Amino acid sequence: MSAITAVFFRDYRQRMTNIGFVFWDLFVPLAYLVLFGIGFERMMGSGIALEGQAFSYTTFLVPGVLGMVTFSVAMNTSWGFFMDKDSGIFYELLTYPITRAQLLIGKISFNVLLAVLGSGLAVVVGGLGLGASVRWDLLPLTAAIVIVATASWFFLFSVFAIQFARMDAFNTVLSAAYILLMFFSSMFYPLSNLPIWFRIPAYLNPMTWQVDLLRFSVLGVGSPVPLLFEGVALLIFAFVCLVIAVRALNRAA
Amino acid sequence: MTHAIEVHEVRKSYRSKRGDSVEALDGVSFQVPQGRIHGLLGPNGAGKSTLVKILSTITPPSSGHASIMGFDVVGQSLAARKQLAVVLQQTATENLLTVRDNLLVYAYLHQVKPAVAQQRMKTVAEEFELGGMLHDTVQELSLGMKRRIQVAKIFMLDAPVIILDEATTGMDPLMKRRVLDRLRGEARNGRTILLTTQVLSEAEELCESIMILDRGQSMASGTLPELRKLSTHMFRVNLTFAETNGDLVSKLEALKPEQLEINGKIVEMVFRGEESSLLANLANISKDTPILQFEVRGPTLEEIFIALMKEAR
Repeated sequence: MSAITAVFFRDYRQRMTNIGFVFWDLFVPLAYLVLFGIGFERMMGSGIALEGQAFSYTTFLVPGVLGMVTFSVAMNTSWGFFMDKDSGIFYELLTYPITRAQLLIGKISFNVLLAVLGSGLAVVVGGLGLGASVRWDLLPLTAAIVIVATASWFFLFSVFAIQFARMDAFNTVLSAAYILLMFFSSMFYPLSNLPIWFRIPAYLNPMTWQVDLLRFSVLGVGSPVPLLFEGVALLIFAFVCLVIAVRALNRAA
Repeated sequence: MTHAIEVHEVRKSYRSKRGDSVEALDGVSFQVPQGRIHGLLGPNGAGKSTLVKILSTITPPSSGHASIMGFDVVGQSLAARKQLAVVLQQTATENLLTVRDNLLVYAYLHQVKPAVAQQRMKTVAEEFELGGMLHDTVQELSLGMKRRIQVAKIFMLDAPVIILDEATTGMDPLMKRRVLDRLRGEARNGRTILLTTQVLSEAEELCESIMILDRGQSMASGTLPELRKLSTHMFRVNLTFAETNGDLVSKLEALKPEQLEINGKIVEMVFRGEESSLLANLANISKDTPILQFEVRGPTLEEIFIALMKEAR
């Protein structure tokens, strides 16, 4: 078994042994889609207008839920990373005949696969179960965005997992990140009608870039130029997070 | 000849949280031939764990060099790690995995073939009495059980060098005995073992060579007989008197022993000085209080250790 496959297997067994993780990875985003989607759709009555097209709230929410999947998977993985450090196994891992790059790639591979599966599930539930009008032809692009976004969040949260020694501090930061990054973004509502003090941080939020790109790949809606900027920004964000994570990993050793 | 472990003039300094420069290791050198059990002893903060971290490639030395089976721990760290099975001081287990997966994942991460790993897992689980809990998640187990799993893992591998940093801490005596016996067997089969411990009797029983560290420096090193030579003027004397009384105790105290223990008619003393003078004094004492049994032997490792630490401070 190669080193990367072994790391992949380790993460797979961790998830399978602690099934609560899978609940948060896959079913909480689906619950948002079904419960939030139906509830808000009924409350609002009329749909949401985007780029001259009208969408039901459930349809509008599907790309946001995909963003939530990437976020949840990365958060749970970073929590596992924190546990590794807390239990000392992180330092023991550094004595194994695997490189730090293999360790990161193995972890990312499993979590990206999980996020792609979770996103696929959300698209199927949204498209086939709730009647959202999904661009099935753009699924490969959706998968690519999910992969880059999951890796970015994983790198970012791994830095927190490595830096924080206390679990309460780590949990507080993750909870704050969860609230701020998800709600200060275009995940649940279009930003165009919101006040300027809300829109500025929301447009600077990588979650907004990711959800806007997903809204294009899943629903086919969005202006090319802003999307291009957001795509480039997301790639830069992923690269910067990778560099910071590798540095943090080396410093922790 | 290539030694299994070579450490040459290794120094390690770092900045403390208060910004002070701390010299954790200050020019430490030693070699361990293949198939030997080598002990690293020292009080807390002596530098033992820092040395283990350097040898297991977790952290590089500030200067000097170290190698495992000829592979430099900095320049050839991956190759060096392929020669190693390490138990760190901190109880490190995969808490989110079952006992079974702890053993298997450890083997897979060391590139042991799955079929071989499965077979070894059964043997190791039986030997370490883990069979009944293979499907339990490790985070639910006691600290002692976690320690047992951590040590059991190294027997999933056939790496030529084993590093154990206070590995038997928290282990029950029967299991500890089993681990020590197993380690001795592994050394006989050619594996090299580096052991750090604060349980000096364990080191005395197991280690063929020993290095005593204090404040990052080597205080003494060699085989146990060689270390005993460092304390040639130190003796442990066991005496059985026909009777003990206050007068005898006063006479014994007048000899100024380093340690004096009186248990009924049995007296144990650690005495520092010339052997001839000791024997003459005891002969005088025996005129008034007959000695029924008399035994003089060299110091234990613990006594050598304490004497060296006293000298150093």
